[in-house]
Amino acid sequence: MRSPVLPLTWHLARSSGRRGLQSRLLAASAAAVGAFVMLVMIAACLGSGARADRTAWRVPDAVPGRSATAVQATTTTYVRHQPVTVVNLAQRPDREPTPAPPGLSAFPKRGEVYVSPALAELLHRLPANQLADRFPEVKSYGTVGAAGLASPDELVAVIGRAPGDPAVSESAAGGSWYDEGQTARAGITGFSGSKPSMFTGSDQQTALLGAVLLVVPVVVLAAAAGRLGAARREQRLAALRLAGATPRQILAMTAAEAAGVGAAGALAGALAYVALLPALARIPYGVGSWYTGELWVGVPWLAAVVLGVTVLLTVSAVTMLRQVATSPLGVAQQADPRRTRMIRLVLFAAALGYIFLTAQDHMTNRQMIVLLVLFYAAFWLFGPWVVDRLGRIAGRFARRPATLLAARRLTDDPRGAWRTVSGLVLAGFVAGFFSVSRLDIGFTEHPDQVAVLTDGGADARHTAAETRTLLDRAGVKATVSTVGEDDFEDSVLLGDTGVVARVSGGPEQIDAATTALTAVGKGRFPVSQDYVSASDDTVTDRIATVSTATLILSFLVATASAGLTAAANVLDRRRVYGLLRLSGTPLRVLDRARVRETVLPLVVLAGGTTAMGVFGAYQLNKAAGATVNSSGAFQLAVCVTIGALAILAAIGGSRPLLRRVTANPTQTAD
Amino acid sequence: MSTVLAGHGLVKKYGSTTALAGVDVEVRERDSLAIMGPSGSGKSTLLHTLAGIIRPDGGRVLLRGARIDDLGENKLSALRRKRFGFVFQFGQLLPELPAEENVALPLMLEGTPRRQAVERARRWFAPLGLDGLEGRRPGQLSGGQAQRVAIARALVIEPDVVFADEPTGALDQNTSTEVVRLLTSVTREQGAALVMVTHDADVAAHCDRVLQVRDGRISSHHQYTVA
Repeated sequence: MRSPVLPLTWHLARSSGRRGLQSRLLAASAAAVGAFVMLVMIAACLGSGARADRTAWRVPDAVPGRSATAVQATTTTYVRHQPVTVVNLAQRPDREPTPAPPGLSAFPKRGEVYVSPALAELLHRLPANQLADRFPEVKSYGTVGAAGLASPDELVAVIGRAPGDPAVSESAAGGSWYDEGQTARAGITGFSGSKPSMFTGSDQQTALLGAVLLVVPVVVLAAAAGRLGAARREQRLAALRLAGATPRQILAMTAAEAAGVGAAGALAGALAYVALLPALARIPYGVGSWYTGELWVGVPWLAAVVLGVTVLLTVSAVTMLRQVATSPLGVAQQADPRRTRMIRLVLFAAALGYIFLTAQDHMTNRQMIVLLVLFYAAFWLFGPWVVDRLGRIAGRFARRPATLLAARRLTDDPRGAWRTVSGLVLAGFVAGFFSVSRLDIGFTEHPDQVAVLTDGGADARHTAAETRTLLDRAGVKATVSTVGEDDFEDSVLLGDTGVVARVSGGPEQIDAATTALTAVGKGRFPVSQDYVSASDDTVTDRIATVSTATLILSFLVATASAGLTAAANVLDRRRVYGLLRLSGTPLRVLDRARVRETVLPLVVLAGGTTAMGVFGAYQLNKAAGATVNSSGAFQLAVCVTIGALAILAAIGGSRPLLRRVTANPTQTAD
Repeated sequence: MSTVLAGHGLVKKYGSTTALAGVDVEVRERDSLAIMGPSGSGKSTLLHTLAGIIRPDGGRVLLRGARIDDLGENKLSALRRKRFGFVFQFGQLLPELPAEENVALPLMLEGTPRRQAVERARRWFAPLGLDGLEGRRPGQLSGGQAQRVAIARALVIEPDVVFADEPTGALDQNTSTEVVRLLTSVTREQGAALVMVTHDADVAAHCDRVLQVRDGRISSHHQYTVA
C-alpha cells in the first residue's frame, strides 16, 4: 500500500494558511542565508588555495646548475605601499629553450617587460620617476595574462634579462631574513614551482579560520529555522496523533515538511551564491579581488552544502517534535529547568590550561585552528553555565518584571539562550584581538626610510655619495647616512650594512626615492619599511580582514538566528503571552523581557570575549611598545555597534507578531 | 450590597453571527455568578465583554457605576490589571517563574517592590492549601495546584471582580470541586465578585446565581438559596 505520509504532508502544508506559509518562508530564508554563508566561506577557502597555486611559478624551483636552462630572480618592490612582484628571467646561452611562464606566450627575451593589467594601469597613472623608471625602458609593455596572476588587481612584472645582468646575478638572491618570501634566485628549467608566494600563501588557512568560526553560527541558524514551524506543527500533529497516526508517521511527516522547506531554502541560497559570484569576486581579500572562476566551488560542494543545511534543519525539526510523537496529548510542560553543572566550568578551565600550555610562538595555522576549535568547544561547554549563572544573578537582583522574566527564561533554558549568541563569542574574541593588535611589534618602524644594501663599509660610503646625487637629481629631500650593525634600532635594514635615506614627504617621495635608488641597488630594489614588515603585515592583514569579515557574517547569522528564535518563542508561547496580555499585562513588559533575554547574554558573553580580545591585544602592544591599530579598533566598534543594533532590530521585528498572536486568544462566538 | 459590575443591552456580532443579542446582567459585591450554556451560545463572549476584553457593538458596561466599554485600549488594559482578576482553564502561568513569582507578577506590574510583592504573594499560599509549594514551577505542580496558584494570582491585587473562564475544564471531578469551592469562598472572603463561565452544572452549583445563555440571550436565571 502506498504510504500516506507524503500526500498528507503536502495537503497539510497547502492548507495551513498564511501564517503557516510565513513561518515556512522564514525557515526557508534562514536555510538560504545559512547555505549562502557556508558557500561563500568554502569559496573563499578553495579560491584562496587556487590563487595561491597560481603564484607558485614565481618562486623559483631550483634545479642543479648543470641542467638549468635559465635563471629566475624574483623580488618585490613597493609602490604606494602595495607590493609589486618582479620576476627577472634570463635564458642561459647554449641551453635548451625554457618554456613560457604562466600568463606569457613565450619565454621573455632580453629587454622585454611584461606587466599585469593592474600594474600597466598604475604605470600609466603614476609619474615615471615614481615607478616606471625602476624597470628597463621599453617602447611598450607586454601583458601578463590571467594564467600567471592570482588576482586581477595583482601588480606583477616579468622582465627578460641578459644572463650577466645584475638583476639575475648572485647578489640578487637576497640573504637577509626580511628577504624570505620576497626575494629568491635559482637556476630553473621551467615554472613548476610548488611554493606559493608569501602574499597568498597564508590566505587559505586564514580563510579556513573564518569558515571554522562560522560553522557553529550557521548550524545554530539552521536549528532555529527548523524550530520555527514547530509550535504550529505540534498542534496539527498532536491532533493527527489523536486521530491514530503512528509516531513514525508523525516523524516522517515532520521530516518531509522540514526537508522540503530546508532544501528549498538551501537551494535558493545556493542559487543566490551562483548569481552573486561576479559581485562576490569584486570583494578584495589579500592581493585583491578575484577571478570569478576562482570562487566557483563546484557541483559536489554545492550539493554537499544544500544537503547539509537540509539535514540540519530536518534533524532540528524532528528533535523538536519527539515529544508530540511519543505523547498524544501534546508537549508535556517542562518540569525542571535544564540545570548546568559545575563540571562545565572545570572542563573549561582544563581546556584553557591545555591551550595555554601548548600554544607556542611559532604555530602553523593548522595547529592554531585545532586550538581554536578546542577553545570554541570549551566555550560551548562554558557558555550555558555562564548564562545559567547570569540568569540566577539577574533573577536575584531583578526589580522590574521584564528583567525578572528575562532572568528566569535564561535559567530555564540556558542552552537556548547561549545558542543564539554563541557564534559571536569566539568571532568577537578573534576580531577583538586582531582588529587592534599589530603582529609586527618588537621592532621600531621607519616608514620614512629608503635603504640600499652594500657589500661593506667602504662600499657604503661610496654608495652614500651616489645616493645623495641621485636623490638630489630626482628632487627628493632626504638625509643620507651609512648604517651598520650598531644601527639596529635606527635603521630599516635592522643592523645590515648599507645606506639609508630619511625621506621628507609622503608616499610619493618614498616611491620617487625608491625609483631613483634602483640604479645603485646592484640588481636589488631599495629596501623600505613595507618590504621589511611584509611578512608580519601580510599575516596581520589577512587575519584582521578575515576576523572582521567573520564578525560581520557572524552578526548577520546571529541576527537571523535571534530574529527567528524570537519569532519561534512568540509562537511557542502565544497562549501564555495572550492570557497575560488579556489580564492586563502591558505588551511592552513582555517585549522588554524578550529583548533582555537575548541582550543579557549577548553583552556579557560576546561583549566580554570581544573586550577580552581587545584587552589582550592592547596589553601585548603595550608590552612591545607598539601603538594600538586605531583604524582597526574603530572598524571593530562600528561593526559591534551596527551588529548589536541589527540583533535588537531582528528581535523587535517579531513585535508585530507578538501583538497579533496575543490580540485576543480566546475570541470565539461562544 | 451594591452593584459592582453591570452590563446593559449588550450586543456583540461576529460577521453574521450574533453572539450577544441585548443581554442585561448585574453583579453585586461578594456575588458569584455562573454563566452556562451550550457551545456557541455566547457565554464566553458575555464574560469577555464584561471584563473589558471585547468591546460590545451595542449596550454599556459599568464598573461601580462608571462606564468602561468606551475606554481606550491602554485604560482598559490598566483596568483589567488593577481591578479584575482572571482564572483560565490552563496555560496562564509562566512556566519559568516559580509559583510565588507568578502570583507576585501582577503586583510587580503595578510597581510594588519585588520583595514586598513576593511577601504579599506568599500570604495566599496557606489559605489555598499551597503551603510549601512557593518555589515550585508550574510544570512541577498538579493541575489542581496550578489552578489554585492562578486563583492566588487573580486575588493578590484585591480585585473588584474575578473572571473565571472554565476554571475547572481541565481538572478531574474531585479536584474540580475542591478548586471551585476555594475559588468561590476565597473570592467572597476578599469582598470580590465572581463571574464564572462553566459547562459543568456541579461547578455552577457553588455560585450564588446561574445565568443560562442561549443564542446570545439569557434564557433563564436561577438563584440558589443559601442553606
